Amino acid sequence: MRAYFKFEFIQFMFNKKNIAIYVILLFFACFYALKMAPSYDPIEQVDREEIEARFLTREDFLTNLVIDENTYPLTRFAAAIYPEWNEYDKQRLDAIDNNDLKKYAESTYKWYEYSDFMIFRNGRDLLYYNPRYYTAGNLYATEDGHYAYMYSASRFKGYAEGNSDLSMDVFEERTALQTLQRLLHGYLPLILLVSCILFTADIVLKDKRNPTLIKGFPISIWKRLLVKGGIALIGSFLTVVPLSVGFFIIAIQNGFGDLKLPVPIFSYEARAFTMISMGEYLFQNTLLILFWFMLLISLLLLISITIRNEFANLALGLVVVFAEFYYYVRGLGFVKDIQWYPSSYVQVGQIIAGYREYLNNSIELNLTNGLLVMSACTAVCLLITFLISNRRGFKYLR
Amino acid sequence: MWKLFKNDFLIERTNKKNIIACIAVALFVFGLFFYVKVENSQKLIDEKASEYQSVASALTKFQTADAMDNGNGSDLYYNLLKQQRYVVNQSMSLKIGRPELYLESGIKLAELRASAFDLEGYEKVAANLPTQTENRLDTVLYQFMDKTSLTVSLDTLSFFPFLLNLFMMLGSFWFIFISIFSCGILIGEFRHTSLIKGYPVSFDKYVLAKSTSAMFFVFIFIVEIFICSLPIIYFYGIGNPSYPTAIFDGSFKVITTLQYIGITLVYMIFAAIFAILLSLILNVLLKNMYLTLFVQLLLFIAPSLFPALVSLVPFNPFNYMNFTSLLNGQSLELAKPIGLELIHGLICIGISIVLMLIAVKLFFTTGKLKKV
Repeated sequence: MRAYFKFEFIQFMFNKKNIAIYVILLFFACFYALKMAPSYDPIEQVDREEIEARFLTREDFLTNLVIDENTYPLTRFAAAIYPEWNEYDKQRLDAIDNNDLKKYAESTYKWYEYSDFMIFRNGRDLLYYNPRYYTAGNLYATEDGHYAYMYSASRFKGYAEGNSDLSMDVFEERTALQTLQRLLHGYLPLILLVSCILFTADIVLKDKRNPTLIKGFPISIWKRLLVKGGIALIGSFLTVVPLSVGFFIIAIQNGFGDLKLPVPIFSYEARAFTMISMGEYLFQNTLLILFWFMLLISLLLLISITIRNEFANLALGLVVVFAEFYYYVRGLGFVKDIQWYPSSYVQVGQIIAGYREYLNNSIELNLTNGLLVMSACTAVCLLITFLISNRRGFKYLR
Repeated sequence: MWKLFKNDFLIERTNKKNIIACIAVALFVFGLFFYVKVENSQKLIDEKASEYQSVASALTKFQTADAMDNGNGSDLYYNLLKQQRYVVNQSMSLKIGRPELYLESGIKLAELRASAFDLEGYEKVAANLPTQTENRLDTVLYQFMDKTSLTVSLDTLSFFPFLLNLFMMLGSFWFIFISIFSCGILIGEFRHTSLIKGYPVSFDKYVLAKSTSAMFFVFIFIVEIFICSLPIIYFYGIGNPSYPTAIFDGSFKVITTLQYIGITLVYMIFAAIFAILLSLILNVLLKNMYLTLFVQLLLFIAPSLFPALVSLVPFNPFNYMNFTSLLNGQSLELAKPIGLELIHGLICIGISIVLMLIAVKLFFTTGKLKKV
């Protein structure tokens, strides 16, 4: 078996297609690190001028305000809520001027918490989140802002209470680890899963080209498939190698970050954020991605020995990965049990961070359910593959 | 030639790849139908509500003092205030069912926006408002509807609106789909060289017959799209085939749904021929199905990765492959705006097709077939 493993592994690594995938990933990693990462423009940034402009206007309003019985109710409302708000802004300004990052994190945390409370609970249609959430055509701007403010509040609370090194890059989520976190929240999982499909698509069917050679191996078909699956899994994880080049470029530019940095996790049940460390977040992501790889590989092995067509492998694999786009509508989890579809877990980082729970109004879209669904589907695929490959009269090559 | 084509078609007919591709197309149509159905049927009303929020949050960037007559009253602030009012008008007119008011305020809104682009400090609020191209598209649409006294339709599920939606979506997928479909077109031949060498026709003719039969399947896909959409007529009716849609084609103009579908069909056929011929050539050069696919996809996304390429090489046929963004005038939104026109796209793709055909005629010999 070990000899067969070696044989397959060498074939895998010298396959033109696989080399091409690694090269393309390397290109994208460098492209991202050099061109896109530096132009990242977060909405929640450390912007002294923005804070100061807001602070001075409100301060001016408060000092000039005289409240009597004729005062308009909204003016009273403003006079009631601005003093505390301004206090936090003042603390933030002072912290920036004194370069006291810890203090800045603390007052920013309070600022976000207070702002979100005021805007979301008390100030509907009067107060607004950062205008950049209200881009033309965004139907859910208020919800986006609400999530982002709660997220930022939790994040800065973590910075204030934790003991990791702080910097402006950490505050704006620019360090290498935080960039990775943002990418996992975005389209990186899709790229990894598509690479996995491409790696696995021909791993069985390439044997059609050299049937006589393959027939000579003294190894059962089921074991052969397992070895192939294992190699596809290793190959899929090796995508980390070209991608890490981009990671190190960002680390050189903006710092590495810290594995102890807090990552806010949303829980729909509590409607609030808790925190886990960056290391744990990455570990959970890796775990879910591992289960995804296993599911895709076992599915493609099954398709390879039943339909025996590479195009079918590609098409069906892509259907599984992209199926969510078809049925995804915000808030759907409330009315439909989408947590039982494996394709609901494609956005790995968003599942771990609880963002999918927020989007779907569902408490079920979490890591545990994800692992459960993934492993159940993998087991079913493997079982069918096992039964088919052990059936009498089954021909590996046809 | 006819016999050859028939022979090829008989082989291809039972090819699993074609059957799966047909199933995939059917899945796409039905899936899209359910997507449109689940998606809010009140979409236009929701859009107007979010538009209101966007304008309102743009207004928060101004000091209230700006609005006072003795303040430094910014023109843009007044403009945005008026915009907000017309957005509310539009939203209300939809809710109470007065489409003529919707159009009327739509025209005024578009005019206001058009004048706002030149006002001082516009870049500050640009992200909250539609782009200039989107606004121009709205303007011509509203003006046209006003002139022909058509009313706004909220209907997205009946036959023609659904098809319009579908073909708009195909813009970004079609080339990718055909690339995946055709990327292995000649790979089988490399494995059975002795068989191919035995055919009593020249290799280039054989290759052309092969691509003709692939094109035949492309036509089947297109017909399949229409057939799969037919049940919608039964459930939701046929819809209005001459409902207007605004496009950019050198200038902003209005065409009917039927014309839009016609244009996309022509583009789809051109893009399919282009993709198949490109697959052929890359197959012979690279001798690997996946490398062919990767090269094609990289060429396809190159204009979006490096937007500067579009204005640098306007005659690149890949600028025109995503026909939906072409018709939306997205090339006008680039850092260096360039107005790509439909007919130029067809000429570019057409010339590329002719060049590739010449290359196939001149250079394709059985000598290229070496076992891989």
